[in-house]
Amino acid sequence: MASHAEKKLTPSRILIYATLLLACVAYLIPVFIMIITSFKTTGDIRSGNLMSFPEVWSVDAWIKAWSSACTGVQCNGVSGFFWNSIKMAVPAVLISTALGAINGYVLAKWRFRGSDIFFSLLLFGCFLPFQVILLPMAATLGKMGLANTTTGLVIVHVVYGVAFTTLFFRNFYVGVPDALIKAARLDGAGFVTIFVRILLPMSVPIIMVCIIWQFTQIWNDFLFGVVFASGDSQPITVGLNNLVNTSTGVKEYNVDMAAAMIAALPTLVVYVLAGKYFIRGLTSGAVKG
Amino acid sequence: MAQLQLKGIRKTYGNAVQETLKGIDINIESGEFLILVGPSGCGKSTLMNSIAGLETVTEGSILIDGRDVTHAEPKDRDIAMVFQSYALYPTMTVRENIAFGLKIRRMPKEEIDAEVARVAKLLQIEPLLDRKPSQLSGGQQQRVAMGRALARRPKLYLFDEPLSNLDAKLRVEMRTEIKRLHQRLGTTIVYVTHDQIEAMTLADRIAVIKDGELLQLGSPKEIYERPSCRYVASFIGSPAMSFIPLKVERDGGNLRASLRSADDDQMYVPLPEKLAAYEGKEIHLGIRPEHITQPLAHKAGQEATSSGKFRIEVTEPTGPDVMALIRINDTEVHCRLDPDHTVDPGEPAELMIDLSRAIYFEAGKEARIDV
Repeated sequence: MASHAEKKLTPSRILIYATLLLACVAYLIPVFIMIITSFKTTGDIRSGNLMSFPEVWSVDAWIKAWSSACTGVQCNGVSGFFWNSIKMAVPAVLISTALGAINGYVLAKWRFRGSDIFFSLLLFGCFLPFQVILLPMAATLGKMGLANTTTGLVIVHVVYGVAFTTLFFRNFYVGVPDALIKAARLDGAGFVTIFVRILLPMSVPIIMVCIIWQFTQIWNDFLFGVVFASGDSQPITVGLNNLVNTSTGVKEYNVDMAAAMIAALPTLVVYVLAGKYFIRGLTSGAVKG
Repeated sequence: MAQLQLKGIRKTYGNAVQETLKGIDINIESGEFLILVGPSGCGKSTLMNSIAGLETVTEGSILIDGRDVTHAEPKDRDIAMVFQSYALYPTMTVRENIAFGLKIRRMPKEEIDAEVARVAKLLQIEPLLDRKPSQLSGGQQQRVAMGRALARRPKLYLFDEPLSNLDAKLRVEMRTEIKRLHQRLGTTIVYVTHDQIEAMTLADRIAVIKDGELLQLGSPKEIYERPSCRYVASFIGSPAMSFIPLKVERDGGNLRASLRSADDDQMYVPLPEKLAAYEGKEIHLGIRPEHITQPLAHKAGQEATSSGKFRIEVTEPTGPDVMALIRINDTEVHCRLDPDHTVDPGEPAELMIDLSRAIYFEAGKEARIDV
């Protein structure tokens, strides 16, 4: 390892580091501006420089964004939307991950007649643009009596997510040797036991990949949220949009920034908690254990 | 322990044109060690999986102790299998791996513990019980895989090329260990391998399979000495049997053939009278390396032995022997010499050919001529 660290700084290395540094800065500057702006007071914003630190660090904007900023006619902040998003994202992520795991298990280890065709058709789901399903899905949810409900939104996200989670799990399980399944069958384990006792305990990395992927997708979704939910079931992305677009007098950039940070934090938290599995899960197909 | 009967097993995969198994009939006695041997893709693993119930057969039936299990689920056949890749459950400890099948069968906990302890002692893996498979060496994983199979005390053990992932030294050790286990426990074992030495050393009987057909079933000695066909003759034995084309001639009352060395020296060897039907025709003589040697005093003068001068082309010392390549009737022939009997590559040497164990084939035909 030491010899690696002592590598000479050749021009090409300098170029690589410079490029990486530039990319880092390009990504981090907007975040930096958001954070410092959210801690400024309105006066500070008007008088100061965009890049300068706040004269007084204040959390007023965060409190206002959370509990009292106006989002349209109501002025209760984004907290309600935030909890809506939690109520939508958590079940949707868990259900789609669970379904994907079972689908992937069957498609990889219990091939049936036509399972390859089934899998190919399922993959189409990954490439369907959101807009295509808006009208039929609205009609379906209406018929099911789930229009404008969180349950309806969960169903939409599960249906949409299953294609991805199935793909993830199927490809992960294809890498698991068939001999393991055979051994378990000879040991007397059945379909469910093999899945629960043998495969699921091995699946932590790919479960993490699915959770991060699905959570990010579902949490950040705006289109489904704005179309299939209304009023008290709208997710945070819609709430943020409403907050930013509600103009009552002076534009409160600090509140906007704080609300945007609140909307972005959960995906960051999930990534930080599960991130080390994410890379491992994505590369696990390439490296045989 | 149990008896296993395979009756007319046929298997065709999905839409495949070619049959994978073309009617296999084998009776395996209780406590017998049967080895299925053959080249890759010969169907031996398919046959193994069919016995285990992991694959269905298209035709035929499988009986364990007289009970028809052709359509039974794997778990209802009371069979354990050791896989080439060991197939240990990666998230479980060694103890859990061995106990898994017992737990599924709802054995009481104390009995499971006792059984795990027994197996661990038998295979000397007690210190490893709380480790994960990834923390074990290949040989240790192999032991655990065998332990998992032994734990259930099944009627039948299947070994699917269990040693082919081990290095050469360990392979020989484990081979001995498997043989010892079999002698101690008297279990019925079906063992698949493509390694003919494993087959010879371990088996009570060997089944040679090629292209889904059973070519020969017999004891290692039978297979080695009386191979049923040219393929079996060349597959078993290393270096392989040499096939020398020769012409059957009659000289006075006896059949004989001439062998010509690379230097055009002629010698005559006597042939058995049963080859009379082939007089004047070309046949192939199958001879193993150990039957062409330096002149041996105790064999001199015997009816089937004859001597001649042959130029040594290449020598390969193996330690206990020197394998030498000579040329007879324009065919490369391996012979086995004593390392103390010095021969020089490129120089002619006096060699003794013992035809008492030789076998004969019609030119261009697979089957052996019965003599």
